[in-house]
Amino acid sequence: MNSLEVSWMTMNSTPQVFLFLSQILGKKIVDPAGRPWGKVCDLVVTIAELYPPVTGVFFTPVGEKTSFRFSWTRIIELGEELRVEPLNVEERAGANVNEGELLLKDSLLDKQIVDTHGAKVWRVNDLHLLKVNHNLRLVHVDVGLRGLMRRIGWEKAMDKFFQWFFDYHLTDSFIPWRFVQPLSSPALLRLKVAQHRLAQLHPADLADIMEALDIHKRTEVFQSLDVETAAEALEETDPKIQVRLIETLNPAHASDIIEEMSPSEAADLLGDLPKDKAEGILKEMEKEMAEDVKELLVHPEEKAGGLMTTSFPALPPSSTVQEALEWLRQEVENLDLIYYIYVSDVEGHLSGVVSLRDLLMANPQARLADLMDSRVVTVTIEEEKKEIAQLFAKYGFKAIPVMDEDNRIKGVINFKSLLEVVAPQLGK
Amino acid sequence: MPSAAEKVSRKGFWRTLGIFFALIGPGIITSNVDNDAGGITTYSLAGSEFGLTLLWTLIPITAALIIIQEMCARMGVVSGKGLSDLIRERFGAKATFYLMIALFLTNLGNTISEFAGVAASLEIFGVNKYISVPVSAFLVWWLVVKGNYKSVEKVFLVACFFYLSYIISGFMAKPDWAQISDQLFTPTVRFEPDFLTMAVGLVGTTIAPWMQFYLQSSVVDKGLKAEDYQYARMDVIFGSVIVNIVAFFIILLCAVTIFQAGIKIETAQDAALALAPLAGKYCTWLFAFGLLNASLFAASILPLSTAYTICEAFGWESSLNRKFEEAPQFYGLYSLMIFLGMGVVLLPDLPLISIMFYSQVINGALLPFILIFILILVNDRKIMGNYTNGWILNLISYLTIVTLIFLSGAMVFTSLR
Repeated sequence: MNSLEVSWMTMNSTPQVFLFLSQILGKKIVDPAGRPWGKVCDLVVTIAELYPPVTGVFFTPVGEKTSFRFSWTRIIELGEELRVEPLNVEERAGANVNEGELLLKDSLLDKQIVDTHGAKVWRVNDLHLLKVNHNLRLVHVDVGLRGLMRRIGWEKAMDKFFQWFFDYHLTDSFIPWRFVQPLSSPALLRLKVAQHRLAQLHPADLADIMEALDIHKRTEVFQSLDVETAAEALEETDPKIQVRLIETLNPAHASDIIEEMSPSEAADLLGDLPKDKAEGILKEMEKEMAEDVKELLVHPEEKAGGLMTTSFPALPPSSTVQEALEWLRQEVENLDLIYYIYVSDVEGHLSGVVSLRDLLMANPQARLADLMDSRVVTVTIEEEKKEIAQLFAKYGFKAIPVMDEDNRIKGVINFKSLLEVVAPQLGK
Repeated sequence: MPSAAEKVSRKGFWRTLGIFFALIGPGIITSNVDNDAGGITTYSLAGSEFGLTLLWTLIPITAALIIIQEMCARMGVVSGKGLSDLIRERFGAKATFYLMIALFLTNLGNTISEFAGVAASLEIFGVNKYISVPVSAFLVWWLVVKGNYKSVEKVFLVACFFYLSYIISGFMAKPDWAQISDQLFTPTVRFEPDFLTMAVGLVGTTIAPWMQFYLQSSVVDKGLKAEDYQYARMDVIFGSVIVNIVAFFIILLCAVTIFQAGIKIETAQDAALALAPLAGKYCTWLFAFGLLNASLFAASILPLSTAYTICEAFGWESSLNRKFEEAPQFYGLYSLMIFLGMGVVLLPDLPLISIMFYSQVINGALLPFILIFILILVNDRKIMGNYTNGWILNLISYLTIVTLIFLSGAMVFTSLR
């Protein structure tokens, strides 16, 4: 049990009981004398709190087909049956869900959710509720085999089987509600509960999750993300899926997201789009970034030119260490790598390279020209990825500069970009 | 400046054709896998034991196939989800669980039938089943788990041109076309267990339950948008028609060659005689090749599709991109099917032809229940929006379900008497 549950238990000396939604659905609703007048068909929770309380019940009156709603406060007792004062026909509210509310069976049971802690997509087998006095709160989502067996009615049989054959007791597999992101409708994705939970995932995990979803859900999740998170996640996604996702957006929105990506990733993506769509997006993009991307688009993806990024630190040899650090602090948001500073003149002729480590250890008044290492390992724009990989392996650099025919620095290849290209061969 | 309408119609024809070829796949592939070992066997038996009297069933069967597959393709395009996915979300865990058990057992029967087909076809060349079956089981398993499945799929598809040999044979045998068209449009029903079982078998092999799941998943994978749906529909219709043309010729040939000669099909060798008009004494080789190709193709797809379907329903990790530890249920189910399929076929003195046939009868018996699920789903506005069934389609579907249940019931009833 987590700390919240422990504090609940200790705070209230009244008895607490854990219930499952599957046990509550279909329960008979009886009047104070015990005569049944309806059946539970769903529960309504209010999402605002950390552990959403049940605030309403959907029911079907005995012998009728349509469902209605009543407020949870009418409950007299929750035991084998639900003891509630019967409603008159006028008191029956329509079976509707309001803003900020969620239906447990309709939106969660048997549907897919994202576990934002474990970064996985699950299917909900059951819901775990905590009963304190007469209040019911949604605490966990049950995604385990035990939950599945409980729904089917084989829980006891399964226990006996495992006990007898393997002396094994299958534990529950719960996910606390605070890590759960429901997926069953676009409205649910737009709920802002504390922070948008999906944004808390690492972009690579978020990309995995989007790839695991079906096309409609994937698009809904993607469109619900803010621009920065969308860009980060997009960078990590499979190229084919990247294209499909960007195609669902209008050029203005697409360009906003692509602007947040690194130029080399943006160039790769735009290169895969159909020409007119790519041009439409480039027109909407910020001019400087569009220029960078257009330059990168010229080069074939698998060679040095296609792997490099144009957002790298470059400073004149006369700069001091202090000036360099100041400049880095200002520009860090726009740079794709900060570990090396390429010491060059205005036209891009490379004199040497200074690593960030050296920069931090040096005297603030020293000049880059004195610190730099003039033996720079470079590659040409046309260099093949195999040769580039070998250089990385040999020297252990984090990045390698790319030079054109006039020996001017045009871009820098980050080790990460190379890894993405080479990794598939490592697996097989 | 040409208007938008003018631009569209000018490039219209070629563009449509181009899009069609880019988007085909699910329907055509599904129908080729449909003509698997069980299919070839059932059609051959239908012709060799009943002559042309069952030929007429192909017309309603084709209609039913088109209708059912169209609904599944439509569901796939509009909802973006697979069939077992939809079933789980709409009908809950309990119903899905029992359905998946039934589906697993039925598909296991089909898998056994595929390996039986491999054994039967290679027996023609004198290869013992204790060699052919384990080797092919391993090959199929390795292909799917380790290899590049997509390029091999293309090889299998090309080899499906083998079915042309039935069509060519059919014309070379110079049958009595007047009599054939007469039989084709004259429904004959005999309330004998054999006849009814064969009818159920014919339905089951042409409209196999696993195919609906596979088709819908393939359509979802293609990522078609609702606007492109017409291409999916063309694809489905085209595929269904091809299946039944091949079925027609197989039944025809067996009726004209084997039935006339009064031979009863006990082994694949007997069934191969149907191709004698075309290939003469090489008919057995031709048949063996076709049967082997069909069996291997289906053996690669069917267990995989079953594993996907079941894992999708329960939310278990199901991807070939994951290692075994990350997707244990997926790999486990897949390997289990292959292992059991292979194991059963290796039992001594197993009647291979009977196995291939009866697995299709089971298909036919399960089908109406799957249809009920499909019909409820395709009429649900929450899932399908504006793309639910029109009343005519519903009427025809209800009729199909009732007919099938009646047929299965009659089959069981008459065989128990």
